[in-house]
Amino acid sequence: MAAFEPVLLRRLNRPECKNLEGYRADGGYRTLERALKEMSPDQVTTVVKDSGLRGRGGAGFPTGLKWTFLPKGHPGPIYLCVNCDESEPCTFNNRYLIECDPHQVLEGIILASYAIRATTAYFYVRYEYGSGTRTMQRAIDELYAAGMLGKNILGSEYSLDVVVHRGAAAYICGEETGLIESLEGKRAWPRIKPPFPAIEGAFRKPTIVNNPETLANVVNIVERGGEWFKSLGVPPDPKNPRDAGSYGSKLYCISGHVNKPGIVELPMGVTLRELLEVHGGGVWKGRKAKGAIPGGNSMGFCTEAEFDIPLDFNGPGKVGCLGLGTAAVTVFDETTSIVDVLHNLCRFFAHESCGQCTPCREGTAWMLKIVERIKRGQGRLEDLAILEEVADKIGIMPGTTICGLADGAGWPVKTAIRKFRDEFKTYLREGPGKGPSAGMRLQMAGGH
Amino acid sequence: MSHHHGTREVSPHAAHVPPGPLPADIREQIVALLPRYPSKQAVTLPALHLAQDRLRCVPPWAVREIADILDLSPAEVHDTLSFYGFFRPASDPLGKKRLWICRSLACALRGADQILDQAAHKLGVEVGGTTADGAITLELAECLGACEGAPACMVDDEHIHHIDQDGKMDRLVEDLRKG
Amino acid sequence: MATVYVNDRAVDIGDERLNCVQAAQRAGVTIPHYCWHAALSVVASCRMCLVEVGERKVDEKGEVSTVMQPKVVPGCQTPVKDGTVIRTSDAKSKDAQQRTLESLLLNHPLDCPVCDKAGECLLQDYSFQFGKAESRMVDEKRTPPNKPDIGPHVNLFTDRCIMCSRCVRFTREVSGTAELHIVNRGTHAEIDVFEGHPLDNKLSLNVVDLCPVGALASKDFLYTQRVWNLKSANAVCGGCSTGCSVHVDSNKDIVYRLRPRFNPRAQGHFMCDAGRLGYHHVNDPARLRQYLVRGENGTRAVDWAEAAGICREKLGAAASRDPGRVWFVFSPSMTVEEAWLLANYARQLSPFVKLAMGAIVVEGADDTFPKDRKGRPAPQVKFTIRAEKAANVRGVRGVLAHFQKERLDYQQFLQAARGGQVDACLISQGQSPAIYKPGVEEGDALAGVAFVAVQELFASPLTDRAHVVVPASAFSEVDGTWVNHAGLAQAKRASCAPWRGTRTDGQFYLELLGRKGLVHAGNLRREVAKAIPGFKPLEAADLGEYGVFCEKLKDLA
Repeated sequence: MAAFEPVLLRRLNRPECKNLEGYRADGGYRTLERALKEMSPDQVTTVVKDSGLRGRGGAGFPTGLKWTFLPKGHPGPIYLCVNCDESEPCTFNNRYLIECDPHQVLEGIILASYAIRATTAYFYVRYEYGSGTRTMQRAIDELYAAGMLGKNILGSEYSLDVVVHRGAAAYICGEETGLIESLEGKRAWPRIKPPFPAIEGAFRKPTIVNNPETLANVVNIVERGGEWFKSLGVPPDPKNPRDAGSYGSKLYCISGHVNKPGIVELPMGVTLRELLEVHGGGVWKGRKAKGAIPGGNSMGFCTEAEFDIPLDFNGPGKVGCLGLGTAAVTVFDETTSIVDVLHNLCRFFAHESCGQCTPCREGTAWMLKIVERIKRGQGRLEDLAILEEVADKIGIMPGTTICGLADGAGWPVKTAIRKFRDEFKTYLREGPGKGPSAGMRLQMAGGH
Repeated sequence: MSHHHGTREVSPHAAHVPPGPLPADIREQIVALLPRYPSKQAVTLPALHLAQDRLRCVPPWAVREIADILDLSPAEVHDTLSFYGFFRPASDPLGKKRLWICRSLACALRGADQILDQAAHKLGVEVGGTTADGAITLELAECLGACEGAPACMVDDEHIHHIDQDGKMDRLVEDLRKG
Repeated sequence: MATVYVNDRAVDIGDERLNCVQAAQRAGVTIPHYCWHAALSVVASCRMCLVEVGERKVDEKGEVSTVMQPKVVPGCQTPVKDGTVIRTSDAKSKDAQQRTLESLLLNHPLDCPVCDKAGECLLQDYSFQFGKAESRMVDEKRTPPNKPDIGPHVNLFTDRCIMCSRCVRFTREVSGTAELHIVNRGTHAEIDVFEGHPLDNKLSLNVVDLCPVGALASKDFLYTQRVWNLKSANAVCGGCSTGCSVHVDSNKDIVYRLRPRFNPRAQGHFMCDAGRLGYHHVNDPARLRQYLVRGENGTRAVDWAEAAGICREKLGAAASRDPGRVWFVFSPSMTVEEAWLLANYARQLSPFVKLAMGAIVVEGADDTFPKDRKGRPAPQVKFTIRAEKAANVRGVRGVLAHFQKERLDYQQFLQAARGGQVDACLISQGQSPAIYKPGVEEGDALAGVAFVAVQELFASPLTDRAHVVVPASAFSEVDGTWVNHAGLAQAKRASCAPWRGTRTDGQFYLELLGRKGLVHAGNLRREVAKAIPGFKPLEAADLGEYGVFCEKLKDLA
């Protein structure tokens, strides 16, 4: 089987392309030039829409379709917000893109901004990506110097400013309206919807929020065409009229108890098992896997028996996970205590809950307290029922919260208990057990 | 990520926090950012970063001065400041370098919780605290996005992978102490 | 005309633009809510108002079908239209309500026995109506320290807070002073002020009303009364000509607090701190409680009838000698009915007796809110504290103008008195000492007046000169009508009986007039309405909870 030729990561080992000259020598910005000369903004949108590209940030919403939600004939300003907050644990694909191929991301930003008639693109980047931020800023400075940002890009009628805006280590800034609030200088409390950002977003103007990987895909789609993009990945399930397919290639992150943690670009639909065995080098130390998360903390857990699911937009849902999420796979081995793993995730969500709405603020804290008590050896069987119930009822899916953090907090809890119930029950009866728990220690209560 | 719940005592390093006003160049940089955004309030986060990078904390007088530049109340600036757990009060400023140790899943699966404890022990501080010589502040971090290099840590805003390798943490701490 | 169905009950909402909470209110159904408030931005963060919403469709055959949305939605952020169906107590809503309440109580302290809000607490009320009887929480609750000095008037019990953020939004959107904010995030979030900038604006105590629970408390009211012992009267604040509608809460004739009463025709939802706290003089033991007669032989206390009799005798005698040298001074805090009665008495004596307006205090300029962040008034005004610190200038002037073409003010009275042109006078001065205290020079002006009768709340340079001192009624003791800056005539009800042995001002005037019976504000309104065209709207006698506009009185400033 021929290995997939990377597209998004094709310049990974070619650092000379990080600067403008090298990128252009590699054929970069020709697509932008052509688009500005030969395509209208709406034509660019149509190409992206027809390609079937779905957002890579975790929600998987069709990108081109989202762009069409902007009000027609709006006098402006219109904003593009690039969501490089990438704080979903175990995820680092955007980091690779901005560190290794900043101009690909920027070409995508400018193309997308042109398509949506944006006047300014705010590049919201998490604080922790210092190196990537500086790389992007250098690339932006190069573009301004070359007349490829600012007024009349490449001599066209289109003008765009790109502003880098650094975060301050808060996960909820990755939620699109949390990002917008943070950009506006306030606490990152996600907004109620409607209105959606396309109608009323940053500074109350029409705004599109896109992920950097999504935008990098835009360049390649406009360059090679939607048909090419559709030749990769998984077409829609003919039995499901609402399935928009899983086209294109995806950056998959592998981490945890594997021999070769890292990033790999593959057509969408690779199974978790293949990703682990072929690309991740298999489970470390000759051990077997106990389970994994298929797409970042928020998606919940798969058991080893479920590793044959395809990692596309539909696959993880078939085994009760929330979805593909960020396609960041973290595997834990058979010696790992699921209670420790769950504790780690509960601690994360309680720490990162913005605190605005009652079910999440109180629910994430409560779930953490219960799990901590279980770890202290004072858990009861009914605690499992309470955890499952609380987890089931917080989130935008039951409609009880403002944003999806609560869904992400609940999914690991309920999938852990439902899929590893026996291990929980044993833990309740017998405590942590005698074996080493793979380096994860009991945390003191309230340790955050 | 430490939130100042009022449980931490005043650090001895608090004595070194300069008094106001903001240094002229910092103030200029803040003002220079205003044209990039349609609202003044949007400059809040960049201004807080500029202040803390220089002052190693954001003292109340800086909050007031930033509020004044941005036409906000000091409470509004502080509201944003305290949300992030990133910015330090004058009672507990940062050391010269900030060492963050990731504790999220990928790193925890490779011993991050122990590494954090060991680092605290080695530096003689609690998590969130600053060494006596003012060189290093030890923080816990949620996922740094360096998972392929787990267990990972970050010095200020630069990642360091595989901090569990033999002697790597010791050497790092030594380098940080030398400043 | 839009019809909305709330729990299968149809309610016509006309062409108003309402959310589900408001539409349900119209149908007499309570959708519990905390963070939503009509005067504040919508945040939909408490999640208490989650309900099921759907649409009722009628097809061409006339068949009715209802399609409900699959998830619960916040009622406060969901607008209704014709055909909207709201279900507030079916399984999904009930479940959501129970869970929200259980969540809120996870960290809420069991403070009811010591919490001021008990009895008017929405957490108590909704828990009782919509919650579960038991909690499943066995872990430790958070106990953040309280903040008793969050403001000079307000105390914060941090652990009781349910993070509805109403208080923060109030200081940002209504007062504009933006002192309150939230610190930290998640379960560690708390309300706080920035050091050195306490909650100290002229509208600060409104956050106590807005707080659905007992987190924010009024220091003035703290631990003084259990609210179920209080009796509440619909009244009007007399602090300025805005005339905020209020509740006066009292127990056994002692006033314990004022709260704003919603009135879209008057001030809206709020009131200022000065008005809210401007009741203490009512309970002050230094208040005049006796009718005093001062003669060559000293001062003696008399009963009210004798005091009235002496006034009639002296004023009558002076008026028959030279009516133009007899003056009546009308306090701008008098009700329309009181002014009507006193003016009638004056005219009973003679058409030439002089009627003058009493001292009207004007402080600075109208103070509008919100402020911008530099403290300047913002263009869109949501609340005004008016410079005219008087309750009923337009109402009193409206009465005086009917009886006397010439407009006479307090300075003109004092000048006449000083100039030896006054033989007898009756001065009604019942204004709160927080607003107006007669000065020594005013007393001196009366030195040469042969007969002075003064109605006052407290001893003053005026009462020092008085031959007859009549204890005046406080605002809380009077049923009557006040007209505000916009000509809105509002009915204020009495809360307290006058002091043992004293009569209300109105009753005293009836006695002067020689009329039998008790003062009845409604009847007097009809009288006034009949006699004075400007007061015609008062013929309704019952002015409703919002009052009626008397357009003609508006410009009688």
